[in-house]
Amino acid sequence: MKKQNDKAISSADLHLEDFSTKKGKGATTKPYGEALYAAAKKDKNITILCADLTAATETDIVRDYLPEQFIMCGIAEANMVGVAAGLSRSGLIPFIHSFSVFLTRRSFDQIAMQIAYPNLNIKLIGFMPGIDSLLGVSHQATDDIALMRALPNMTIIEPCDPSEYSSAVNAALNCDGPVYLRLNKNCPKVPARYPLSMVERGKFDLIKSGTDAAIFASGLCVQEAIEAAENLENDGLSVAVINAASIKPLDIQMIKEMAARTHCIITAENHSIIGGLGSAVSEVLAEAGLAVRFKRIGLRDCFAEGGSRDYLFNKYGLGARHIMQAVHALKRDKNG
Amino acid sequence: MTTKKRNIPSFEHLIDKARIIRKHVIQMVSQHGQGYIQQGLGAADLFTYLYFHELNLSPQKLDNPQRDRFILSTAHNTAVFYATLAEAGFFETEKLQQYCMDESTLEINASERLDGLVECTCGSLGQGLSVACGLALGLKKANNPARIFVMLGDGELEEGQLWEAVLFAAAHNLKNLIMLIDLNYMQVEGDVRCVTKIDPVDKKFEAFGWQQQIVDGHDFEQIFSAFSKLDNSGNAPTAIIAQTIPGKGIDFLEGQKSHNMILPTAVAAKALQQLEKK
Repeated sequence: MKKQNDKAISSADLHLEDFSTKKGKGATTKPYGEALYAAAKKDKNITILCADLTAATETDIVRDYLPEQFIMCGIAEANMVGVAAGLSRSGLIPFIHSFSVFLTRRSFDQIAMQIAYPNLNIKLIGFMPGIDSLLGVSHQATDDIALMRALPNMTIIEPCDPSEYSSAVNAALNCDGPVYLRLNKNCPKVPARYPLSMVERGKFDLIKSGTDAAIFASGLCVQEAIEAAENLENDGLSVAVINAASIKPLDIQMIKEMAARTHCIITAENHSIIGGLGSAVSEVLAEAGLAVRFKRIGLRDCFAEGGSRDYLFNKYGLGARHIMQAVHALKRDKNG
Repeated sequence: MTTKKRNIPSFEHLIDKARIIRKHVIQMVSQHGQGYIQQGLGAADLFTYLYFHELNLSPQKLDNPQRDRFILSTAHNTAVFYATLAEAGFFETEKLQQYCMDESTLEINASERLDGLVECTCGSLGQGLSVACGLALGLKKANNPARIFVMLGDGELEEGQLWEAVLFAAAHNLKNLIMLIDLNYMQVEGDVRCVTKIDPVDKKFEAFGWQQQIVDGHDFEQIFSAFSKLDNSGNAPTAIIAQTIPGKGIDFLEGQKSHNMILPTAVAAKALQQLEKK
């Protein structure tokens, strides 16, 4: 006679991944997927391409509810970029999806030649940017902004809060050219006491004012910058936080204003300090002849490893306390 | 995809057009010592067939949304491409003298600066078929009867992206996609077969779910027959594998596998003599 615990394992025991989409109550929050669905429902020319990662890129909603506007491309990112270019030339508006690293690093030549050079109206959507990945160095896009920034015609937008994903999609659609959206799954919310403006191409958002220093932060680092700035208030420092969602083009006016007001600028980004937001801001400061105290927070010219978001942010110096240390160091130097 | 009755071309007319196009190729490349002779002479018959018989494309209606699209994935093979465009009336033949000159839109690698005549800028090999797939899919979705032609070299079969696109085209039933492979067994390094093993090319495409035919790329009757025999009933994309000879048409150039051949003026003159009407 079989013992009770020998009974056959059923699929219910396996916690199978659910690839069907449930909308409404009880569904996983998919702020990007919902925003994309809303936009695509309005404009039938929006065509969604994905390289095997629908759930991870929140494109399962359009896959299931707008199947005629969805194209599965398989694990073939370079081809997907070319296909998108052809679709665009036939009059459609492709949105292409993968993890940031595969989209930008693997398909760089294809993006340069088939999207950026002809300035096609194609949106590139990368998830899990920077070190926001447990999956290690192969899955960590720590140079994607550097790569995309170097391409003429390319716009780069990185929202910092799920509530911004809808306006980020609209900002991308309002730009008649290639746009790279850099998005996080399970993006934490900015504290409600900091109301956010709509994401706009070429505009930053001053979410906390201050006179002693200004932190230009993007994506996940905005949360860290807010925490740092609030703690610095306790230390008697008035620190501004700017949500630098439009990484290309930059809000040059805002950079100059904050430089003039604080003379102390910090950048914080989930990316290498080479070629990203920090580089971009420093170029503006240098060419404008603005002598300020300056520090870039980001990966310091190194590869990372697999680990949790909090662990990696702490280990690689992207956390609130690193930003605080940087501000203190700059202010000490200035006064010393 | 159109199923109109196919007109039989005048093969004599095509042979004569190809002869004139080959003359342009020799003149254009020897003028500044820039451009690709062997590839141009080798593919001259394919270009002639496409632009003087097969493509639904007219200089008067370049913006016709239902025009057939031609993508030159081997974007460096421009001497023959531009010569064909000029002979087909897309611009004046005098313009060919600007080939590879500074400021000229007739760049050595075809770019979209040649407005309306280059459907997408290739040159970085292996990319043309992917764009062709996107165009084919987009136009199919819109019930547009246009066909998408893409020409690539056999050396491009070494690019990984090419095979991603080959898979995609079959998976998405792109019956409006026609690929011409210029099988000249030549790449920068020399003979393709000394670099890697690409044979059997036809069996590869068959295995990937394409309909395919091998033709003599210098025999207009065979090329026409291959296009006539295409099966429009299914959904498979098409590969026409055209065996060509680098330097075709000039006895001392035929079969020379040289990617960057320079033709001194005196030698060019001898080559041109062989292309005089007999």
